Amino acid sequence: MIKVTDLKIHYGDHVAVDQLSFSVPSGSVYGLIGPNGAGKTTTIKAIATLLEPTFGEIFIDGIPLLHRPEEARRHLGYMPDFPPVYDELKVDEFCDLFAHAYGLNRNQRKQKVEQCLHLTDLQKNASAKCKTLSRGMKQRALLAKTLVHDPSVLLLDEPAANLDPKARIDLRNLIRRLASSGKTILVSSHILSELEDLCDSIGIMNNGSMELSGSIEEVSASASPSRIIQIEVVKKFPMLPDIFSQFPEITQHAQLDDAARHFELTHTGDSENAAAILFKLVDSGAQVSNFHLKQSKMEDLFLEVEAGRIKRGKNP
Amino acid sequence: MQEHQHYDSEIQGVRTMVENPINGARNAFPLLLGFQGFLLMFLGTGRVASITAEEKETGLLDYQRMTPMSPFSKIGGYLFGLPSREYFMFLLTIPFLIHCVVVGKLPWLNILHLYSVFFCSVIFYHLTAHVIGLVVPRPRAASWVSRIAVLGLYIFLPVLGQAGISFLSFLTILPTYFGKILPSLLLIGENKLGRFESKVAEFWQDVPFFNFSISPSAFTFFMQGLIILTLVITAYRKWRNEALSAFSKPSGLILYAILQFLLLGSLWAFFSEGKANGLLGETFSTNLVGSIGKPEIAIVVVQSVYFALSFLAILALVNICCPNLHLFLKGLQRSEKLELNKIPWAADEGSGFWFVGLLSLITAAVHAIFISLANSSEIWNLESTIFSTISIPFLLVLASSLYLQASREQWFNLGFWGFVGLLWITPLLASLVVAVGWQNENLSSIFKLLALNPMTWTPLHLLFVNSNSLNIPEQVVEDLNQAIWFGITIALALAILLQVRLYWKRNHRNRSIKTSFKND
Repeated sequence: MIKVTDLKIHYGDHVAVDQLSFSVPSGSVYGLIGPNGAGKTTTIKAIATLLEPTFGEIFIDGIPLLHRPEEARRHLGYMPDFPPVYDELKVDEFCDLFAHAYGLNRNQRKQKVEQCLHLTDLQKNASAKCKTLSRGMKQRALLAKTLVHDPSVLLLDEPAANLDPKARIDLRNLIRRLASSGKTILVSSHILSELEDLCDSIGIMNNGSMELSGSIEEVSASASPSRIIQIEVVKKFPMLPDIFSQFPEITQHAQLDDAARHFELTHTGDSENAAAILFKLVDSGAQVSNFHLKQSKMEDLFLEVEAGRIKRGKNP
Repeated sequence: MQEHQHYDSEIQGVRTMVENPINGARNAFPLLLGFQGFLLMFLGTGRVASITAEEKETGLLDYQRMTPMSPFSKIGGYLFGLPSREYFMFLLTIPFLIHCVVVGKLPWLNILHLYSVFFCSVIFYHLTAHVIGLVVPRPRAASWVSRIAVLGLYIFLPVLGQAGISFLSFLTILPTYFGKILPSLLLIGENKLGRFESKVAEFWQDVPFFNFSISPSAFTFFMQGLIILTLVITAYRKWRNEALSAFSKPSGLILYAILQFLLLGSLWAFFSEGKANGLLGETFSTNLVGSIGKPEIAIVVVQSVYFALSFLAILALVNICCPNLHLFLKGLQRSEKLELNKIPWAADEGSGFWFVGLLSLITAAVHAIFISLANSSEIWNLESTIFSTISIPFLLVLASSLYLQASREQWFNLGFWGFVGLLWITPLLASLVVAVGWQNENLSSIFKLLALNPMTWTPLHLLFVNSNSLNIPEQVVEDLNQAIWFGITIALALAILLQVRLYWKRNHRNRSIKTSFKND
């Protein structure tokens, strides 16, 4: 797992990361989102032991990073946003070099390199020189190299930035598979829709601070205190406005179509109260065909955070 | 065998050259050695520096840094892995080397000596290049900086070595080559080496160090070993954490103490017996100084070189070991969290106040030893008091070190180097302009401008304290006196002003950090 407590990183007078705290449990994927200059890459580099924090603590599987960096590095796999590779080496040699550096013996290396190339769909290019690879393939070669020592924590900085749509889907599936095998994954990306499908929880950073952090539902909920419930009935039911008025938690309701079949409620209550509303509607004879919470879209959230309309929220 | 005759201007007569395989091999040996040096010392050095810097720039070095191998393994890998092509090319020259040695009947033991020093130098240069690559950001710049550094070792430092500081000449293979190999390269048909060759061969036979004479190759190993150790410390720290400075304060102090020890050892015989290595030594021993003027001029030259080297070393160590504002802030926050009263002085983040104080004390102690050696010797005729010869230079060293430390710790690179440039370089250039334009008319102004730079203040002071022996005119002595006190006043004023400003700035930071902790 990753645990970051009160992390501060200063460059002279510039505060790149300020009082950042979050944790990522084992077997889960955590997404870091934020505009350029928010401090995502700086945070990932600090966790990767490549930047020394000004202040704060980072734990990797319980190992304090600042005090025992060498030990923590065995557990870490880091993939930067720009994929540097040794141009003159073949892809399998590149992976083998790092497998060697991590202390794997000859048999283990052969087996592990093959396995990682298979995972990243690079078996066909195993004998190709790295300099002949496209940027997306270099990214995959880098991922293979990152996985070669079987790290328990993966730090992926914009991993899908250079990939085509199919490769992105493959990468997403691969990351989910790695997470389900128990790995802790921290991923930063600006492709928000992907993070929505990929991550168990997210953190939205702005100006070096964590503005919101938690599961996607929690973050969406903390973005607006009231939730939007959308209701659809099979046929017009005139008593609906009266039923809505019985619940003080429904602060506003709006009819969305002329046939009076679609409604949108602004709801300040909890899930139990939402269930009570549904029960009352069904009990009153309304033929409810759809009743769901409308999620605040990640893009909307992101823009709200960037514009400063959402300030520091939950830090689990 | 064929014989050729030609006129040799050195012996002012006809020299007979015998053509035979032995002479051919002996003639070829220096060329082969030069080629091998070009491969490993020039090309190899540039390659290590440029690839290290390139990997740092692209981020490949970060991958290596993250692997759990020890920093020593990584240093070894880069040191011998990056120039593998140059090592391979070197291997190709081995048959020719064996041919030269066997056919030329060169002594194997001396060749072994030479090549041990050769490889020690190669490792030293490659390590220098690796450290430069870790520090200099751009690959091309790193490559050229390292090559220029190697050329500097062969040209600049040996020139300084001629001023009696013998150890500076032992960073290359030249002493071993001249001392051990050159006499063996005497051609068949020649009775003795040429005048120049025999002089350099004789010159490099042994090295005066304190009261001992050490063989050139042993001394080269000793010198290069010390510097290799220093570079390994730097590389180790940079591999562990890129953000760490090249040296910690304790290792900086040890390094400075070693440098002063080497200076002391090299100049010991000069101050106690008037014997010096290099050109100066020869000049002094042939009594040339005595015939053209006073021997005290030699002591002025040597002490000036000694102080210049000491100031340069202090400047470099202040730049490396004293924390800038960013680092100090980091230290404040950490010490606040650990509930320490203040940052430990030996920590990288700690103030360098005591550090520069100790550097000044070491300098003063070594200088005091020199002066007491000179005073107890019958060679020198020093007239001045302990106050003027030891205390006043110490005051200047201390004041200069303190203002350097204060400026380093309150400004970032641009501010610090801008300040040093303005204070140390601009007055020198201005004094040159005044000297060229007005010559002796403005001697007082020229001296005052020179006194702003501690490296040029020292010769002024030494000229002043030896003014009687050197028969310096009274008016010039008065100008020198004024310039010396002007230089000291400015240095002290800057030291006090910048220290007060630094103290105020830090207090302000300290308060704001404590407030932020209380608020948290």
